[in-house]
Amino acid sequence: MQKLLSSLLALAPLAALAQVPMPAPPQAAPIVLVGGTLHTGTGQVIDNAAVAFDKGRLVYAGPRAGFTQAGFEARDISGQQVYPGLILPNTTLGLSEVEAIRATVDDREVGDLNPNVRSLIAFNTDSDVLPTVRLNGVLLVQPTPRGGLVTGQSSIMQLDAWNWQDAVVKADDGIHLTWPEMVIKTNPAEDAAALTRRQEARTHRLRDLEQLLSEGSAYRQAPAGRKENLRLTALGGLFDGSKTLYIHADYAKELVESVRLAKRLGVQRVALVGARDAWMVLDFLKQNDVMLVLNRTQALPRRDGDDYDQPYRLPAQLQAAGIRYCLDFQGDQETSRGRNLPFVAGQAAAFGLTKEQALTAVTLSPARIMGIDKDYGSLEAGKSATLVVSKGDLLDMRTNAVTQAYIDGRRITLDSKQLALDKKFRAKYGLE
Amino acid sequence: MTLTRKTFPRLGLALLGLGAAAPALAQPGTYPRNGVYDQRPGLYAFTHATIQADYQNRLTDATLVIRDGRVVALGPTATVKVPAGAVVQDLSGKYIYPGLVDIFSSYGVPEAKAPERQGRRGAGPQFDSQKPGAFDWNQAIHPEVNAAEVFKVNAEQAGAYRKLGFGAVLTQQPDGLMRGTAALVSLNSDRKENEVLLLDRAASGLSFDKGSSTQDYPSSLMGSIALLRQSYIDAAWNQRNPKREQNLSLLALTQQKSLPALFEVRDKNSALRADRVGDEAGVQYIIKGRGDEYQRLPELKTTGATFVLPVNFPEAYQVEDVYDAQRIALEDMQHWEQAPANAARLKQAGVAFCLTSADLKDKTKFWPNLRKAARYGLTEQDIVQALTATPARLLRAEGEVGSLQPGRQANFLVCSRPLLDEANVLLDNWVQGERYQLSTLPTDYRGVYAFRLGQQPEQKLLIQGSKPEAPELRVVPTAGDTVKGTLAVSTELATIVFNPKDKVKGKAAKQPANSQPAAGDPGAIRLSGYYAAENKTFSGDGQLADGTPVTWSARRLDEASRQARRDSAKTLPPLVLAPVTYPMGAYGLSAAPVLETVLIKNATVWTSEKAGKLENTDVLLSGGKIQKIGKNLAAPAGARTLDGTGKHLTPGIIDEHSHLAIAEGVNEGTQAVTSEVRIGDVIDPEDIGVYRDLAGGVVAAQLLHGSANPIGGQSALVKMRWGATGQQMKIADAPGFIKFALGENVKQSNWGELNISRFPQTRMGTEQVFVDAFTRAKQYEKDWQSYNKLSKSQQAKAAETPRRDLELEALVEILHDTRHITCHSYVQSEINMLMGVADRMNFKVNTFTHILEGYKVADKMKAHGVNASTFSDWWAYKNEVRDAIPFNAAIMHRVGLNVAINSDDAEMSRRLNQEAAKSVKYGGVPETEALEFVTINPARMLHLDSHMGSIAVGKDADVVLWNDNPLSIYAKAENTFVDGREYFSLKKDQELRQQRDKERQRLVQAMLAAPKATPGATQPPVARTRGFWTCDTLGQEKEEKE
Repeated sequence: MQKLLSSLLALAPLAALAQVPMPAPPQAAPIVLVGGTLHTGTGQVIDNAAVAFDKGRLVYAGPRAGFTQAGFEARDISGQQVYPGLILPNTTLGLSEVEAIRATVDDREVGDLNPNVRSLIAFNTDSDVLPTVRLNGVLLVQPTPRGGLVTGQSSIMQLDAWNWQDAVVKADDGIHLTWPEMVIKTNPAEDAAALTRRQEARTHRLRDLEQLLSEGSAYRQAPAGRKENLRLTALGGLFDGSKTLYIHADYAKELVESVRLAKRLGVQRVALVGARDAWMVLDFLKQNDVMLVLNRTQALPRRDGDDYDQPYRLPAQLQAAGIRYCLDFQGDQETSRGRNLPFVAGQAAAFGLTKEQALTAVTLSPARIMGIDKDYGSLEAGKSATLVVSKGDLLDMRTNAVTQAYIDGRRITLDSKQLALDKKFRAKYGLE
Repeated sequence: MTLTRKTFPRLGLALLGLGAAAPALAQPGTYPRNGVYDQRPGLYAFTHATIQADYQNRLTDATLVIRDGRVVALGPTATVKVPAGAVVQDLSGKYIYPGLVDIFSSYGVPEAKAPERQGRRGAGPQFDSQKPGAFDWNQAIHPEVNAAEVFKVNAEQAGAYRKLGFGAVLTQQPDGLMRGTAALVSLNSDRKENEVLLLDRAASGLSFDKGSSTQDYPSSLMGSIALLRQSYIDAAWNQRNPKREQNLSLLALTQQKSLPALFEVRDKNSALRADRVGDEAGVQYIIKGRGDEYQRLPELKTTGATFVLPVNFPEAYQVEDVYDAQRIALEDMQHWEQAPANAARLKQAGVAFCLTSADLKDKTKFWPNLRKAARYGLTEQDIVQALTATPARLLRAEGEVGSLQPGRQANFLVCSRPLLDEANVLLDNWVQGERYQLSTLPTDYRGVYAFRLGQQPEQKLLIQGSKPEAPELRVVPTAGDTVKGTLAVSTELATIVFNPKDKVKGKAAKQPANSQPAAGDPGAIRLSGYYAAENKTFSGDGQLADGTPVTWSARRLDEASRQARRDSAKTLPPLVLAPVTYPMGAYGLSAAPVLETVLIKNATVWTSEKAGKLENTDVLLSGGKIQKIGKNLAAPAGARTLDGTGKHLTPGIIDEHSHLAIAEGVNEGTQAVTSEVRIGDVIDPEDIGVYRDLAGGVVAAQLLHGSANPIGGQSALVKMRWGATGQQMKIADAPGFIKFALGENVKQSNWGELNISRFPQTRMGTEQVFVDAFTRAKQYEKDWQSYNKLSKSQQAKAAETPRRDLELEALVEILHDTRHITCHSYVQSEINMLMGVADRMNFKVNTFTHILEGYKVADKMKAHGVNASTFSDWWAYKNEVRDAIPFNAAIMHRVGLNVAINSDDAEMSRRLNQEAAKSVKYGGVPETEALEFVTINPARMLHLDSHMGSIAVGKDADVVLWNDNPLSIYAKAENTFVDGREYFSLKKDQELRQQRDKERQRLVQAMLAAPKATPGATQPPVARTRGFWTCDTLGQEKEEKE
């Protein structure tokens, strides 16, 4: 009877909880988290730390002993770990709800040249998936369109908002380009003519692309009296550095080829996305100071004969070479499985990175590559109070257990439809 | 060559011309002829030749006599009497071989065409055959097609074969699973079909490729295998029960049961598969392979099959580009090197083989490739045998072709040199006594001649040069300098031009601009004439520069200036065989890892038993079993000790739901019920996923059929025995399993608008598929039971016998609990439905897999006694998984179900320990229990727990040593043992990588160094990707992922 009663009590708030949680109001009073182990995102680990923030901004992040300001509500997180909120670049989160149901998918527009298409417009703050991602420590995402050649523009969004306008952290941060794959025979039976046709088709697409970028570059130099062209206008930011060109490519030669083209045409900020063969062209990447958004490390090697741990090991290889990179989770079921971002970082730590380097790869590094590191990506005084508290190591599924999370100082509600279902059916069976 | 019959119409042809039609028939046959009948005796004697009577016997200075298309005498020239009236050819210095036989061709046979499909093309599924007539239900089964009835003599194709030396071919329509019969025909293209047909129904043809059939079934290799098996069964049944149905296809199959059967396969693994089908049907196939047999030789030898080997050796890849070259699979590069050695390896292993020109696109490579193959250890005798005696023997046509003996077909080759000699020229190919001239040797006029020009004193004329077909002319006057000129000879008619000013010494005079002869130019002398061989003299008339007529002659004095004939005594050195690994390519092993005695010391041992986790514990592996568990165990003599200090030892991980290592199709799925298909028939042991799984601590898996239909195919339970064959990977004595499926996949919800006609399209219909299937299965069992109760004589008298049905047989096994169901499932309604059907029909559902809403009905599942195998955290990718939660495993576990975490994914499979760890995070499952989700629990649900799944004395030595807590993201498998053999270790992995890199470099250098004399001697890189299967991959092509 006692059990039944408690089960019923537990059920009571379910109706409300089955909804996407209500966005948190702005930080009302100064808060200091004390006693936890601080992982700054810059590589530092500070035991028994204090992390203080007010009006959404960090006032202090360091040894507890060093924080003496009064007027802060102290929250004891002894025995827990505190991290910068994780940042998930290059994702379909918010753009796609249920992959197989076309009506719920807004991640690819028709056409080859869509630089003017903007992902933030479709970003669905009412997605059932977003709350589940926050629960594992991901607080910022970069919804990115897919398909085509020039696929469109991404933005940086935070995951606790009433609508897409509220969610914007940085609008239209970059334009995404899906680099046409180099042509190689994959079927031994393919004849020479078919191979040539494929090569010509690719050349043609690359010509279109080069022409678009050249015209975009010229177009912005003559703003007076021009006829408005949405596509060319959208490209402008690439040539003054206000927008990043994200080139999605994997094959070693494509990495070189695409970066060279972008640089030749005067693109100021270039990042490679995917870049799974980066280990073959480390010198090139280093010399050209290319930024990389690495594809999900929990992946199969690209070629049968590759080292079984090549994808796991790639971040460590880049780290050793001094190349700037961060980690993403693009691939199968990328929307719903995006919450595993911390674990691809952990995987990289198992294969050569230090744990703090791995953390940086999903916090400060993506913030830098996306140009939001002034505010996000690390826990340092003056930056946004966007952070998570976990009972254990956030990068290990065995210990990842987020107890509190703050976005710009707002303590967000850690709940989801999945938790509600868990509660409901545990109650059914009388399980605690 | 001396030709003694001048009327032969080909004599006037160009130097290297091919033969044309010669209606020199002895007997008119049944055919009327237009015009004057031309019946000739066809009596020829070939004397003084070196004659290879058959592949073993060679006669020197021998004579062959043929009459009317057949051999009449063969023996030493001294003893064979040349019959009066014979056309005699003196073949001194020439060689005669039996005409070659190609056992694999489609000569003269039209390409198979699918029957017209009703409705527009691509209009959704086609369930039934569209072929008119009382034939088989399946369009790919057409043993009734007889090549002899559809083939047409084709001069062009026959000519191409004859050019290579073939005199006869076995021809068939290479289409479908049961292709019909092949005919042995001679390659005489100047006779009617009736006359060149040597043997109707010489063999039957089979393959696993459904060819032109537009019918959906079978869509996979395992479906093809099931259909072949069922067809043999049906043929026997139909023969016993002819009143039941008239099936002309099955009738034909029965009639051809005693014929040689020629089975074409795509690779060596399918050769093994074909042989298993044959064993069951009581047929020993002749196997037409792909040329990769060397990669699986010991097992192929045990098939007892004779192999038909193509000689289409791959070209070297263009490996100049570092990155593109890296994309070529190592095994493809190795095949470039090893393919030419294939036949030699079979010979070495004592496996009988034929050779075929099939698959060779560029037929001019036939002889060069044979010569290349010879350099690995084949003799001329081996090659002649493989192209004559062996095919003739296999086709039971030794009395007709394959050797030269009185009474046999006059099919033979006349060669200038021994057959494999680099300089050999195939001169004539005689087919059924008909001469087809392939080429003629150019007459060699080189020598010194006494030259008379009009009244001038005798000069010398030199004909010289390195090649007899390109003679160079020199005129040596009695006084003065030697002069250059030109000589052209065509069919004994000669033309000579020279100008006395063109001195060999000194500069050639410049041609004046106005084309007028320069002052002092004597002008050119032009001579025409003929060569008379009988007195070795050119003679004729000509004109001097001023037009004065002149007679001339040049009488041969000697042959001293002739250059030594390029002799093929220049033998190339034999080539060395590169080592074979299992499989070929990266990470291949030269032999299975040794069975070791290993003592793992001082590890944290996760037993997956009641004992839980044991700290500082030793485990002894011996004889493939776990021998001892305890503290401070002593290492037996010869044992290897592994220090486990700070490390964790777990049972090997078992993946309950995997689609790795499956060849050519994971789904049959073209019908709602396909319980007859078996993954066990199509295990692909070369899937690199097997090795990668080992690197992730996975030792065993259930390889499941996909989820495209309600009742799918039978599973294979395998251990990750990398390098073994598919059959060797199977877990011995494992119980039978079968895949069932529910929900969106089986009702084709996400397959587009064309797929809306296969039943079922709803969850309502899905239930009825099960009810119907098991209703039929019960009736089937009853029928057999009552039949089996009859006495032998009653059975023999019975009007009708039950038909053995592989589909229902598998369902009966379920009813008997000897085959267990693993059912793909998502939402609660359908889970309850299947348990309800099972209860009503008296069977058990063994496992619900995926079971993402299991948490909603865990109580009912517990009551049914079903196991649950689920994903850790998948959801929201389709409608039926919107309510999936990562707490599912924990809730089901806490309710008391036996729960496993599975992969269904090649990537996730290799880190299932992490997926299990998510149950710690989502739902707070204790760590040892979470690990059991991938060890003992899947072992239990697969009924393997008596010897697998935990660390207990006596169980299989399938263990993994990790560097960290196995549930941690930071854990890495360091050593993986299967059956006490170390199949993976970080150390061995490093060695295999080095071996791979070294091998790749060696081959790159070899390809760069390979002669590139002819264009097209190299090929662009091919980035072949193996792809991967998912539950809902359809057809035989894997999804690509690079």
